[in-house]
Amino acid sequence: MEQRTALDKQGYIQRNLLDKKDFSLKGFFLQWEWMLVIILIAVMMINASLSPYFLNYASLRDGTMIFMDKAYIVFPMAMIMILRDIDISVGSTVALSSVVMATMYNSLGVPMELAVVICLAVGALCGFINGLLIVKFKELSAVIVTLGTMILYRGIAYVILEDQASGNFPEWFGFFGWGYVFGIPFILILFIIMAILFGFLLHKTTFGREVFAMGKNPTASRFSGVKVDKIKIIVFTLAGLMAGLTALFLASRMGSTRPNVATMYELDVIAMAALGGVSTAGGKGRIIGTVIAVFIIGYLQYGLGLINIPAQTLLIIVGILLILAVAVPKIKLPAFVKRK
Amino acid sequence: MSEYVLELRGITKKFPGVKALDNVHFKLKAGEIHALMGENGAGKSTFIKVITGVHAPNEGEMFLYGEKVQFANPKDAQNKGIAAIYQHVTNYPDLSVTENIFMGHEKVHKTTKRLRWKEMHAEAKAILQDLGSSIDPKTEMGSLSVAQQQIVEIAKAISTKAKIIIMDEPTAALTARESEELYKITERLRDQGASIIFISHRFEDMYRLASQVTVFRDSRYIGSWGVNEITNDQLIVAMVGREITQVYPHKKNKAGEKLLEVKNLGKMGYYADISFTLNKGEILGLTGLVGAGRTEVCQSLFGITTYDNGEVYLKGQKIRVRNPKEAMNLGIGYLPEDRQLQGLVLDWGIGRNITLPALKDLSSKGWLNEKKEASLAKKLAEKVNVKANSIFDLVSSLSGGNQQKVAVAKLLTADLEIIILDEPTKGVDVGAKSAIYEIINNLAAQGYGIIMISSEMPEILGMSDRIVVMREGRITKVIDKKEATQEVILEAAMSEIKEQVV
Repeated sequence: MEQRTALDKQGYIQRNLLDKKDFSLKGFFLQWEWMLVIILIAVMMINASLSPYFLNYASLRDGTMIFMDKAYIVFPMAMIMILRDIDISVGSTVALSSVVMATMYNSLGVPMELAVVICLAVGALCGFINGLLIVKFKELSAVIVTLGTMILYRGIAYVILEDQASGNFPEWFGFFGWGYVFGIPFILILFIIMAILFGFLLHKTTFGREVFAMGKNPTASRFSGVKVDKIKIIVFTLAGLMAGLTALFLASRMGSTRPNVATMYELDVIAMAALGGVSTAGGKGRIIGTVIAVFIIGYLQYGLGLINIPAQTLLIIVGILLILAVAVPKIKLPAFVKRK
Repeated sequence: MSEYVLELRGITKKFPGVKALDNVHFKLKAGEIHALMGENGAGKSTFIKVITGVHAPNEGEMFLYGEKVQFANPKDAQNKGIAAIYQHVTNYPDLSVTENIFMGHEKVHKTTKRLRWKEMHAEAKAILQDLGSSIDPKTEMGSLSVAQQQIVEIAKAISTKAKIIIMDEPTAALTARESEELYKITERLRDQGASIIFISHRFEDMYRLASQVTVFRDSRYIGSWGVNEITNDQLIVAMVGREITQVYPHKKNKAGEKLLEVKNLGKMGYYADISFTLNKGEILGLTGLVGAGRTEVCQSLFGITTYDNGEVYLKGQKIRVRNPKEAMNLGIGYLPEDRQLQGLVLDWGIGRNITLPALKDLSSKGWLNEKKEASLAKKLAEKVNVKANSIFDLVSSLSGGNQQKVAVAKLLTADLEIIILDEPTKGVDVGAKSAIYEIINNLAAQGYGIIMISSEMPEILGMSDRIVVMREGRITKVIDKKEATQEVILEAAMSEIKEQVV
């Protein structure tokens, strides 16, 4: 054992604190992400055994295009959940921003390039409003505020487009949903880039550290000079912005949009984040986990879709998976298991 | 049959690391009002919790009407006729007075289990009228004043047929007139045959009501006297007369230039007319009873809350702090009283906790430099001598004293000039206390101006250069170190303020 205490001239004990962590192999493999990898492999194997069309490169590659759009919202949603909040308005935000974009282009003659920017801006604005309301009305929980805006944003989308579809986008716009770069879907490449960006933001910057601190102890964070309100507004705005991005991909893939698109997206997104190891109690979670969870839920839905399992059954499976993901780490083992 | 309705012999209650009660005695006669007095932390609250069955004592015996008893839980104590009315009224503000009174022992129909509202309303009304109060039992609890709520709490105690009623600082939040009404009700209870333990800081309460007074100090039983047998001075000595055994290694500092000047600071409902100055290298003690407004004043200076009127000058420049970040940028730091809730992230490591206020300095363009972070955390944790193995040890695994050292280390990350310490040694054992005192003195010697809020008399006397005493949101006295004695401070903390015409 290394000598880490000594007496100084006045006889006080001087301690030498370790400032480096020892690498522990056991600790490395006891991470939730390895569990997720196992689940992902299991999902792939089940899918492959059920459908001969599932396990080949083209199928796996193009399958991602179907579920990847909403996956963008998982990153900011993870941050929101780390802050102990939730945002259930993201599906409506997707609908509203795509509807505004389509209307701008088709009815008001706005060039598509500008309409795309407006789509992102509308999404960001929706998120900003959520954040502002949550910060200003502290007695209201985020779930209530975003329940309100969920209905509000969807309602505005219906007022604008009156339950009709709007499409006829220029040809280049189809690239978002259907384009390939070096043989890889554009949507997948951008997803990986976003994952890296959000991973750095959450794990390597002061901003990310403060997000975790707020999730663990909002009061102490405030007393430590963390600008808690500002951070919360930024995180919710990011969620809106990513919903705007999702709106682009969705409208592009479908070739048109309607006010009722992206219903229940919020549930898939929250499920992906929770399965990815983001604690609903706040303060815990990693981007890498949410990335794996996106593929688990995405491929599960895609694979079961291939063998014509109805969507309702899919909901059941996702629901069970989600409950397991949240419950398994919480199950208390009997005392004798832990004893040596 | 014993002469005493309640007798406790040799009660000891230990918590991990602390003896909250150490061989304590108490005897309550039938039909008497018995005052229990002592400083903050003397063990009064734990004592009540033993009597009401919240805590089981580790040693000692309890006799009820001469019979030995042991309470398994609070309900058990309630069934045997013991009720407590707490300092902070614990009620259901959205429910009616009747519902509050009968909470937990509602009257129900024998077979259908239907609640018998008519009967309950009638009985509630009868009890309240008996107490001389005209509160309508159907009003919402939350719409009543604190004094009225206290009366409802008393009515609740009566409705459980309590024969022994404990009142924990019931007058703390009441005006003089409201207190008088409470005195009358308390006397009426006694005349109806109840025995009352009345806990208070106020001498007025004791003289007005009690016939017997028992004093606790430092978790120990000091003595019990008839109210007429003991003088005011003797009582103060009994309450505070401990020897100052802790060493306060005060270095001789010259107080330097004026750092902070507070002029007529006021916040509606919290404090008013607060004026004081703080010099470089000075330790300013801020004392008074709990609830005197000390914390509120300091949190306003730190930007946690706002103030309504008055001015704050930092080195002659008028400042108005809007949030803690601004305060820290101006050089004002604050060590919160509740380190677990406000001070630290308990399930984070020592290092991350220390660097949380300083992340900006440890990063470039928002990117965190983890090497720099680890070395700063190591340096500061070693500076305050935190007992741990590594900076990754969880703060929750540390003792109270070491947690406090981590909280102090957080302050050292910023470039501060003024440090406000709110009860810096609360819940800290004696050994760690003197370590914290030494850190504070070193800081003062380095030229920091320090405001130290404390309820502990020896600490205030041993550490401060000047002492500001507050009571009920106002400063009652500013005392220089040379003139300060426990008696002077206690008098200023408890005395009625002269009515001021504004």
